[in-house]
Amino acid sequence: MNRTKTTLSALLGATVLVAGLAGCARKADDAPAATQAKDAGKLNIYIWSAYLPKEVIDKFSAQTGIQVNFDVYDSNEALLEKLQSGVADYDLVVPSDYMVKILVAEKLIQPIDHAKLPNIANLDPRFLDKKFDPKNQYSLPYFWGTTGFGYNKAKLGTLDSWQAIFDPKNKGRILMLDDMREVFGATLKSMGKSLNETDPAVLKQAADLLKKQKKLVATYNSGDFANILAAGDVDIAHGYNGQLAEVVAKEPEKLAYVVPKEGATLWMDNVCLPAKARNVENAYKFLNYIMEAEVNAEIVNGVSYASANVPAKKFISPEILNDPSIYPSDEVIGRCEFLEDIGDTTTLLDEYWTEIKAQ
Amino acid sequence: MPEENRRRGVIAYLQVLPTWMVLGIFFVLPLVIMLVISFGQRGTYGGLKPIEDLWAYVSAGGFLANYRRSIEPLYLSIYWRSLWMAVVTTLLCLVVSYPIAYYIAVVAPARFKNLLLGLVVIPFWTSFLIRTYAWMLILRTEGLLNSVLLGAGVTDQPLNLLYTDFAVMIGLVYGELPFMILPLYASLEKLDLGLLEASLDLGANKVATFFRVTVPLTMPGIVAGIILVFIPSIGQFVVSDLLGGAKSILAGNLIQNQFAIARNKPFGAAIAFELTAVVLVLLFAYAMYTKRKGQEVLL
Amino acid sequence: MNLPAESPRVDLVPRPVGRLAPVPRPARPVSWERRLLATHSLLVYLFLYVPIVILILYSFNRSKQTAAWEGFTFNWYLRLFHNDLILRAVKNSLVVATITTVLATIIGTLAALALARGKFRGKGSTQAALYMPIIIPEIVIGAALVTFFGVVEMRLGLTTVVIAHVAFCISYVAIVVRARLAGFDRSLEEAANDLGAGPWDTFRRVTLPIILPGIVAGALLVFTISIDDYVITSFVAGVGATTLPIQIYSMLKVGVTPEVNAVSTLLLLLTVVLIAIAQRVQQEPTPKGGTKK
Repeated sequence: MNRTKTTLSALLGATVLVAGLAGCARKADDAPAATQAKDAGKLNIYIWSAYLPKEVIDKFSAQTGIQVNFDVYDSNEALLEKLQSGVADYDLVVPSDYMVKILVAEKLIQPIDHAKLPNIANLDPRFLDKKFDPKNQYSLPYFWGTTGFGYNKAKLGTLDSWQAIFDPKNKGRILMLDDMREVFGATLKSMGKSLNETDPAVLKQAADLLKKQKKLVATYNSGDFANILAAGDVDIAHGYNGQLAEVVAKEPEKLAYVVPKEGATLWMDNVCLPAKARNVENAYKFLNYIMEAEVNAEIVNGVSYASANVPAKKFISPEILNDPSIYPSDEVIGRCEFLEDIGDTTTLLDEYWTEIKAQ
Repeated sequence: MPEENRRRGVIAYLQVLPTWMVLGIFFVLPLVIMLVISFGQRGTYGGLKPIEDLWAYVSAGGFLANYRRSIEPLYLSIYWRSLWMAVVTTLLCLVVSYPIAYYIAVVAPARFKNLLLGLVVIPFWTSFLIRTYAWMLILRTEGLLNSVLLGAGVTDQPLNLLYTDFAVMIGLVYGELPFMILPLYASLEKLDLGLLEASLDLGANKVATFFRVTVPLTMPGIVAGIILVFIPSIGQFVVSDLLGGAKSILAGNLIQNQFAIARNKPFGAAIAFELTAVVLVLLFAYAMYTKRKGQEVLL
Repeated sequence: MNLPAESPRVDLVPRPVGRLAPVPRPARPVSWERRLLATHSLLVYLFLYVPIVILILYSFNRSKQTAAWEGFTFNWYLRLFHNDLILRAVKNSLVVATITTVLATIIGTLAALALARGKFRGKGSTQAALYMPIIIPEIVIGAALVTFFGVVEMRLGLTTVVIAHVAFCISYVAIVVRARLAGFDRSLEEAANDLGAGPWDTFRRVTLPIILPGIVAGALLVFTISIDDYVITSFVAGVGATTLPIQIYSMLKVGVTPEVNAVSTLLLLLTVVLIAIAQRVQQEPTPKGGTKK
């Protein structure tokens, strides 16, 4: 019948189109495994967006024959949710400092056997043995950095204090991270308090400050903050140092990044092994691989965040190494604090955060 | 014939069996689990707090704690804001859609109708996220609209359009427009123009004819469109995050925050079920309305 | 005066006579009204298409980010075919959408048939159950499903995504096909029966061709919904199951490159082609000798 032929040829055409697009993807998938035997196994990585250059993964696959899959997340909570579900099949995850403690408490990650990682000697002792994971039983540093703010110095001059984000002069030109801990953290620091304050009276003061500040804020954004600053939508952007350093480097006369004198968040993202990981040996191989000096330098050069690897510094590009936003001095680090989980106070904070946003 | 009816009944059961299997296991069951969770409490690290004494917990009314919290004034103001935003979006959609639906159904030449309708739907086939992002490109300070306005000399300062309620409204209306145009078109297409002529002949002017003949006759389409636009608008959060600068909390953001950030699943589940309840009430009202009119319900 | 029974209302409407008698006016809008409506429609189409045009245009823009136009290039399309992340996401989306469309269409059509003409207890609750995926916010569905998969210890991956999609797409097919069945003339089926056709033959050669446009419309709807779904998928996707919306959303948060515009443009082309095909299918004559729709 005429109609059957038309339908069939139409379906055929559509299938060809679909297969064409899918075929390109299949080719991309097959490439790394082509060289070695399939028995080398798999490795499933769950990591922050843009934290791992593809070239590094490809080289690893080519060297070991291990097929690497990786998925990305954009918040620690998303990571926690996936691990808590008990059915996400990852072998390597990269939680932030406070999340490590939570994952340990929830028994979602397993201890790391240091003996299996000869390259551990490359790690900078200044970043080891922190409060959230004494003796690094469960985690090893991947990247570290600060949360300050980037700003338009051509327009605003040199800024050095958190008061800038509360200044009515900057109304409608401020960006804050869409992260309640970080926003409260900045406020608490501006009040001279600790990031991990649990005193309800202090938190209420901070919340009131933030409610007043809200009309000065153009947008809350945790991902695109650097580009929004660079695009000129705002003059001050609260954000993480790596991405801000990148845009500052492109326009050094116009933009700048600062860790305010009152102090800021020092954050560290760490590699961990999920308790239910199925390809543990491959995970160790990968961990050891990314701690090699040259490989680590390649990652740092690709992502513009600082790693805790000492020998890698020989191979890291000088622009990054000498950039005080990425590798700040000890004095700056001294002003900063790690975020820690505040347990049940999280609910109170969330309530304040909701009130602020609901205005 | 009773045997025929029984056979029909068996066939019908077989036909709905797959639906019941899929929906029963992968829809109803998960929701029941969620309902149970909404009666629980958040554990220290998210997850659930273990309940030592179930009987005491239930009889003390502890299981309703989340529901009680969800009607505190803070949250009521959020629901009110979401409701308001959904109402405005729906009304805007209605006002914008009616003329174009009328044009396609009544005015346009018959051979173009399908094309015009198709043109309405095609933008819907692109990724919703990307369409919203395109609006960001248009509305931002150095974006298209400001470039055009500055270049044409209409304004001398770039307008602050992005990250405002205005931007959110544009994004919402933009996303929901086809859902209003299509049902309106379906109703208008069936409109008997002879009735309009009769009305005019009987002395009514055009405005009166519109409100007293056209609108009532197309009411099924209007109501269907309102429902199709209102329900998603109440629960959305992506548009207010992207175009609104994440500055406002709507019901959808609230739920999302509870699950994603505050890790308070029980509370989030409670709010979610309340939202669902509101929608169910509205739909029930719709069902009553159509039953009264003796017309076919949506399904 | 005795008025005929069929016109009970005539005496209620005073008919002015003489100078005041109204001139009968046409119901079809007069030219200035037509122009007004046409202008409004044009503006609406513009509103609908400006972002699409921008989306497509900027896939050819040399500049990475800003609104500034820096020259025409096919670069992003070429880079797209080397961007493994996006390609893998596209593949996942297409696979999921295709499987979902097939399954949801079959199951949904069966349900619509049962609802339209079957007599069985539980009809009301079936209708209610089919409403639910549309009413309940996606975020609730997603969270409920991921909790459920955890409880039954089903590993997250592409399978769980397909399951989730099929579960909430059945309703859309059911609605569309049911609407199509609403105006269906049963006497055609009865005629076929009388002429000796068995139930399966009747279905295949009488019922199916008539409801085919509804089925096709439903299938297209499901395909689009599945390809574009973000919220539910983000909850239930597992290793290597990143679909295109999830990939785009993560890029939206960090900074989009025009490769995303490129892939969206290509997908738009694909769906336009599919619609055009569907249009052809709908316009073919129905059972031999029947009239064109």
